[in-house]
Amino acid sequence: MVDVWGEETTLPLRAPGGQYHGHMVTPGVARSSQPRSLDRALILLAISAVFLGAIQLILALPGSGAYWWVHVLFTVAFWVYVAAGMIAWWRRPSNRMGALIVLGGFAVFAGSLANTGVPVFTAFGTMTATLVLAVAIHLLHAFPSGRLRGPASRATVAAGYVVALVLQAPLYLFNAAAPAPLFIADRPDLMAVGSEVQRYTGLIVAIATVVILARRLIRADSAHRRVLGPLFAYGMLAVLLIPTSATVFQLMLGMSPGARAGLQAVFLAGIPIAFALGVLRGGFARTGELQELGAWLGASGGARPELTTALAQALGDDSIEIAFWIPEHEDWADAAGLPTKLLVANGERASVDVRVGSQLVGAIVYDAALIEDPELVRTAGRVVAIAMERERLTAELLASQDALLASRARLVAAADRERRRIAQNLHDGLQVQLVLLALEAQQVANASSSSVTTREQATALRKGIDEAAAELRRLVHDVMPSTLIERGLSAATEDLVDRMPVPTSLHLGITDGALPESIESTAYFVVAEGLANALKHSKAESFSVRLERDGDQLLVEVNDDGIGGASLAAGQGLRGLADRVDVIGGRLRVQSELGSGTRLRVELPCA
Amino acid sequence: MRVVIGEDEALLRQGLALVLEQGGFDVVAAVPDAVQLLEAVDRHNPDLVVTDIRMPPTLTDEGLVAALRIRSAHPDTAVVVLSQYVQRRYAVELLTDRPAKVGYLLKQRISDVDTFCADLRRVAAGGTALDPDVVGVMVKRARLADGDVARLTPRQQEVMALMAEGRSNGWIASRLVVTEKAVVQHASRIYDALGLPVDADDHRRVLAVIRYLAQ
Repeated sequence: MVDVWGEETTLPLRAPGGQYHGHMVTPGVARSSQPRSLDRALILLAISAVFLGAIQLILALPGSGAYWWVHVLFTVAFWVYVAAGMIAWWRRPSNRMGALIVLGGFAVFAGSLANTGVPVFTAFGTMTATLVLAVAIHLLHAFPSGRLRGPASRATVAAGYVVALVLQAPLYLFNAAAPAPLFIADRPDLMAVGSEVQRYTGLIVAIATVVILARRLIRADSAHRRVLGPLFAYGMLAVLLIPTSATVFQLMLGMSPGARAGLQAVFLAGIPIAFALGVLRGGFARTGELQELGAWLGASGGARPELTTALAQALGDDSIEIAFWIPEHEDWADAAGLPTKLLVANGERASVDVRVGSQLVGAIVYDAALIEDPELVRTAGRVVAIAMERERLTAELLASQDALLASRARLVAAADRERRRIAQNLHDGLQVQLVLLALEAQQVANASSSSVTTREQATALRKGIDEAAAELRRLVHDVMPSTLIERGLSAATEDLVDRMPVPTSLHLGITDGALPESIESTAYFVVAEGLANALKHSKAESFSVRLERDGDQLLVEVNDDGIGGASLAAGQGLRGLADRVDVIGGRLRVQSELGSGTRLRVELPCA
Repeated sequence: MRVVIGEDEALLRQGLALVLEQGGFDVVAAVPDAVQLLEAVDRHNPDLVVTDIRMPPTLTDEGLVAALRIRSAHPDTAVVVLSQYVQRRYAVELLTDRPAKVGYLLKQRISDVDTFCADLRRVAAGGTALDPDVVGVMVKRARLADGDVARLTPRQQEVMALMAEGRSNGWIASRLVVTEKAVVQHASRIYDALGLPVDADDHRRVLAVIRYLAQ
């Protein structure tokens, strides 16, 4: 009679609400977005639970006799379920465990309706007598996110509901003691067979559950195991002990049916509390580790490990991947700025978007088998959103940097080519023309038919052309010295030094022709610009220039003993040099303390 | 006097040939690159070669390389190298080995036809012709690096530069509008100051000065 989950449960009722079927209808409410409607729904739920429990007590207590307290216990278990479920639901709106626990509460309620004495309720209670066990199995599989993961889990949970609702049928259809609407034939044989079938399939479901949970425990890391272990152990114990308690306790301990039922109720009531604590205590929403993320944000520069590593540590998932959203390309990129895909193929991997304001900055891809609650990842995402935005900008920069570097190098190469072309054109064209023009003028001057005035004028013209030619020679030399083209860096530098109006020493430690053209011209312009700069600003009495090959580096130094105070910021010339050096992957340093001369040092890669 | 010309610019090659013909030279060949220049020199064994430095195919210094080769293969052939730009290193290379019958001038000097032809003749006769531009660089450099040169009077420095260009005392005297004797006096003071051996021979004196400046 009172033995709600004994094998010979009886009692009838109409079909259950049918609102749950393996999968919950979740409100999908995010704590932040729709708190009020959720609050209202939960209050309504609480009121109806109190109301339903009260009605049940009113109906069941009068005819209950000595075991009245068992009815009270079951109603209390119902309330405990609903209360625990609602607290979890309210605190973690995105987590479905809360709703699932509430469902368990209604399963307890439905099952205990069998004791009300009202035929229709009794029938319903009889049909749903073992439903709470299926829900408990469901809870075990769904913990901690509330969602079922993987086909094995889903099949096992579905099987649990079949065992509880379908395989329950023979127990009342062929039971003469069952309420009238349910009983169809007095067939104790069929009832016995049905009972055995339900028992063994139930056992299979329980074993499958143990196997699946054990595998999860093995895969989980130690932190998760500490939470999962006790919970799974208790859940399994409850699921196994409640249906078998009739046999076990009675045979082994000689318990009375009343005490047995009371123990069942206590066991039952323990389940929602354990799960709600599991969800709330947040073995999985370990805020402590989110604080670590906060500390990571506070760490500076080099002390800060990569964002991915920090997230992996905080979330306990080494497989964490981060993708950055590059709006220009409308595509995802990895930390290096290379295009990437968001691999969220199945239930194994999942991703949450990370936003700063309404702006999508990236996504965190995680192992859904390890992290059941996307809300946790989302929270972590909110913590690191700003940092992620920064990383995203970095990734974006990196994405464009390669292209930029290549284009700068092309620009410098193009500028060099252009200089060479201009110098060559002037050499072949204008310079030759000026020679010929001057020659012609001189020939006019030398012609015997020319008057004295004409001779003088023509000679003056020839000299003027010669001066123009000298001017052009300097210009061509500045654009691209012929020596650099003809002989290379050391000859060109030597000529540069030869023409300095201030004593300039030259140390040459290079072999001409051994260096790439772009390196030679860059080094040359470094020396030329460095000397011109020093001449203009340093008030130095002597300069020194040093060109030295050091392994795969060319060292270029221009030093003076002047007043110092030169800086990259001050002169357009040095700035331009720095850019040029940077393009070919070199380094430029200026040491120029006031009063102690200037030391321009450039290292160029020439491997 | 038989001359071979090496110059890749056709107009300039023709202009040069014309100037030399008018100046009384016998232009036996005018070629556009260094390979043909060497061939022509081998074939004609000329008294004088006038060549551009930068010529095809590489447009770098093959004219200079050819000039040095001609100087070693044909010691009797005088070589004058022309260039759009002059520098100490090329001058030193041309003069170091055997400082005679050699010249190194800016192309633009062609236009002063008389001076140019005189320079060529002087070189062909065993002298030297260094462009004032490159001599200027050398003297200035020596002045900055060397106290002895710096102590020379401006006039002495001027005389020294003209000597380095390869000018004769007479030419220098007329250029500076002084007597030839005054030039000789300047010269001997320069030798004293720089510690150069006094030599009666004009060439050797000039060479001493050039060597001094080129070091």
